[in-house]
Amino acid sequence: MQKLSVQVVVVGGGATGTGILRDLAMRGISALLVEQGDLAHGTSSRFHGLLHSGCRYAVKDPAAARECIEENMILRRIAPNCVEITGGLFVQLPEDDPAYAEEWESACRQAGIEVEEVDPAAVRRQNPALSPRITRAFAVPDCAVDGFRVVWSNLHSARRYGARALTYTRLKAIEQQNSCITGVRAENVLTGEQYHIECQVLINAAGPWAGEVAALAGLEVGVIKDKGTLIAFNHRLVQQVVNRLRPPGDGDIFVPHGPITILGTTSLPVENPADNRPQQKEVLDLLAIGREIIPDLDEYRLIRTFAGVRPLYQEVPLAGSGRSVSRNYALLDHQQRDGLAGLISIVGGKFTTFRLMAEKAADLAAGKLGISRPCRTAGEPLFDPLPPEWLERGRKVFGVAAAHKAAERLGDDFAAVVARAEQNPEQARILCECELVSQAEVEQALAADTTFTLGDVRRKTRLGMGTCQGTFCSYRSLGILSRYPRFAADHRQYLADFLQKRWKGMRPVLWGQQLREAQLSTAIYSALFGMERML
Amino acid sequence: MNSKKTDIMVIGLGLAGMVAAARAAELGKKVVLVGKGAGSLTLSSGGIDLWGYSLEQPEKPALSPRHEISRLVERNKDHPYAKAADVLEDSLAFFQAVCRSAGLPYLSNGLGNWLVPTALGTLRPTCLVPESMAVPDLQQVARILLVGFAELKDFYPAVLAVNLQKCGCLPSGCRLDIADVRMSGREMNAVTLAGRLEQLGVLEEVVAQIRPHLTPGTLVLVPPVLGRARHRQVRENLAALLGCPAYEVAGLPPALPGLRLSDALLTHLKRNGVTVLSGSTVHSVRLDEQRRRCLAVQLAGPGGRLEVQAAAYVLASGSFLGGGLKAGPGLVQETIFGLPVQFDPDGWACEEFLDRRGHAFNSFGLRVNENLQPVDGEGRVCLENVLAAGAILGGSNWPVEKCGNGVALTSGYKAGQLAAGGV
Repeated sequence: MQKLSVQVVVVGGGATGTGILRDLAMRGISALLVEQGDLAHGTSSRFHGLLHSGCRYAVKDPAAARECIEENMILRRIAPNCVEITGGLFVQLPEDDPAYAEEWESACRQAGIEVEEVDPAAVRRQNPALSPRITRAFAVPDCAVDGFRVVWSNLHSARRYGARALTYTRLKAIEQQNSCITGVRAENVLTGEQYHIECQVLINAAGPWAGEVAALAGLEVGVIKDKGTLIAFNHRLVQQVVNRLRPPGDGDIFVPHGPITILGTTSLPVENPADNRPQQKEVLDLLAIGREIIPDLDEYRLIRTFAGVRPLYQEVPLAGSGRSVSRNYALLDHQQRDGLAGLISIVGGKFTTFRLMAEKAADLAAGKLGISRPCRTAGEPLFDPLPPEWLERGRKVFGVAAAHKAAERLGDDFAAVVARAEQNPEQARILCECELVSQAEVEQALAADTTFTLGDVRRKTRLGMGTCQGTFCSYRSLGILSRYPRFAADHRQYLADFLQKRWKGMRPVLWGQQLREAQLSTAIYSALFGMERML
Repeated sequence: MNSKKTDIMVIGLGLAGMVAAARAAELGKKVVLVGKGAGSLTLSSGGIDLWGYSLEQPEKPALSPRHEISRLVERNKDHPYAKAADVLEDSLAFFQAVCRSAGLPYLSNGLGNWLVPTALGTLRPTCLVPESMAVPDLQQVARILLVGFAELKDFYPAVLAVNLQKCGCLPSGCRLDIADVRMSGREMNAVTLAGRLEQLGVLEEVVAQIRPHLTPGTLVLVPPVLGRARHRQVRENLAALLGCPAYEVAGLPPALPGLRLSDALLTHLKRNGVTVLSGSTVHSVRLDEQRRRCLAVQLAGPGGRLEVQAAAYVLASGSFLGGGLKAGPGLVQETIFGLPVQFDPDGWACEEFLDRRGHAFNSFGLRVNENLQPVDGEGRVCLENVLAAGAILGGSNWPVEKCGNGVALTSGYKAGQLAAGGV
């Protein structure tokens, strides 16, 4: 049993939770985050990767639209290597209601978003894959964002300010005395280690699990769990984010991320917040809608499909006065709402506005602690830019392409990985050609104090996430990880797990090039290695 | 457009296509063999798998693959072996004669299967292996030395050691040791490394690092990198320097044993007058008015367009990986003639990647009659002078059955023979 004591405990290691942790730490408030899995294993890494301009919400929810554009501009400034400033387009087809475009354009201007009508012919010259049937097009300030990188950058920054995070640690109980939060009990799900953490304030930022967390305090928070499925193409189909200019619907946004493009998404209520299994039918539906904007969509290679669960806030009927900040996210002060002092829930919302949500939650928490230091997260960069000298050294050991990819991926950690490869030249070899992941990077991930499972290694490095979906690097990574018994004590289990994780995303898109890849994978692991019978 | 007349045109540069071309040429026919690129052999382990496991006890390696195949043919009339196993002995003898003459002898292990180790430390049941992989019975060895190269990221002796010990095939007290060889430290793939080892000086440096680990009676296992064109000399030199033979262990593609087999078969074909056009893709086909026969196949290749007119065609274009079949959502097509493909509209793949039943998509393909002519759902012949062979044939789940090469060999041999006999 470990006994700890902090002013604030934050539950949930997504963008909002880590954003809150950073915000509190920068105000000098002692804070600790507990997360049941790895950071960003939930919704924050399972979405479009779209940094909204707000245009999508301008008509229905002007307040949310305004928040989006403000946060969009802030994130570009504080996290330049998490954001790809692609710009975005809203395009209209003949079957879309022409009146909506007028309403939408004026709503965008009202919200303070710069939109500019552009010539559809010029748009097609830049994006030849787009449909020739586009009648109108508008340029908007949408961007692509790497959610995973944002979350980790939040954590690294928070740690520099003295905050702590416990991953793979599940909240077991919330303790209260005289209607005041006094602490929590938690358990490490991998080791069974027990924690007792005293705190004055507890912030529930558990996303789709927020209802489950509130239930530990005997309270009800209404979260609709809404599954969204997305598909990743192995091509940069468009140069900008492309949205359909009509009331928001399924499958009408394409987001380019470096060499790939993500299309989504669907919307399907689910019971279980962990239900992120994509179905083939959803994929086919997405493709059918996507084809309206990109007619030759079927010619392009799909890498995989994945799904995330959106937490949508729903006011619990007959509840007290929850302080709804906007229609998109809700900040609940449970002292006012339910008479339990020290408990705050932040629910709903979007990735784009995570920093603002964190600010509001941290303001409320600081107020409860009687601390009046202001929020500084909008001004201070998330990390220091990489000195160019390191990039130069990286190129020497990894080659130009691999060095650039690793530098983007690693941010602050890049220098350590380069130094590692300089000291051990054979670690410069690339284990995963698709994502250009070097052995040095894998070894660095293995050495990190936040790495407990193979999944953590994969998420940190993107090993096996590329075109071949692990066909080659799963065996190679076993060769490296087998020296670390805690990751690969049982070789068959290790490989089966690695391959199965990839399979889950490939199985609903088994046709075209990806079926060929699957056949190669079975030729290697079954015909050649006979793994299906391996002990 | 240039045109070319021939007796037989074979499409596909994998094992089935090359064996079909070799057999037809042996029967005195003019043969044109065309293909996109390096065939599936580059992905192969180098062994010839006929049948892996007992039908009665699926846990147990098949002691006699021939016996299992004859049982299978009685039970399952849709399996490609049901159409081609009648030439099993002839095709094996033919294959071994061709390989021997090309300087790459393939060895059988009596009438049974070899059990040869893989880079993962599993044992593969396979019927014929090149000399370099003909590992003696592991039950009899007292010590095994596993050699790895620091430069080679596709082979890890430590992984091999752990799993060989696990699989229960070693006598008790058998010792496993590892020799990590380091050359330049710079990463190399298997093909590059094999090229380097063809230099005697390099080989001597390697042996100097292995020798300290060697004791008399040790079995030496190495990654499959013992030369490409000069594989014979490399093996002989290595054995002379070590004082004992070293055996190659099958690993990740691109695999030298498969490349060597591909090289050997191509050499044989060219020696026997077969015209090989690699780097060619089929652009279109011309059929007669009744759409009963193929008159010509048009190719697009490095030399521009070429029309090939043949009396008979052997389609050995492979499955999805080879490009003989193409899939869209819920749809499978044969890519050259548009022949009907047998497939399930749904349930293409199991939930578990390693499900022992195998994935349905691997068994999709053409249905053929006894003469290897593709037939439609009613059993009617589609094109009289087109025969199919190899992985494009449906009805076999070769990754779990371990019969891909056997099906390619028997159906390729039979298709070449039937095409030469006139269809």
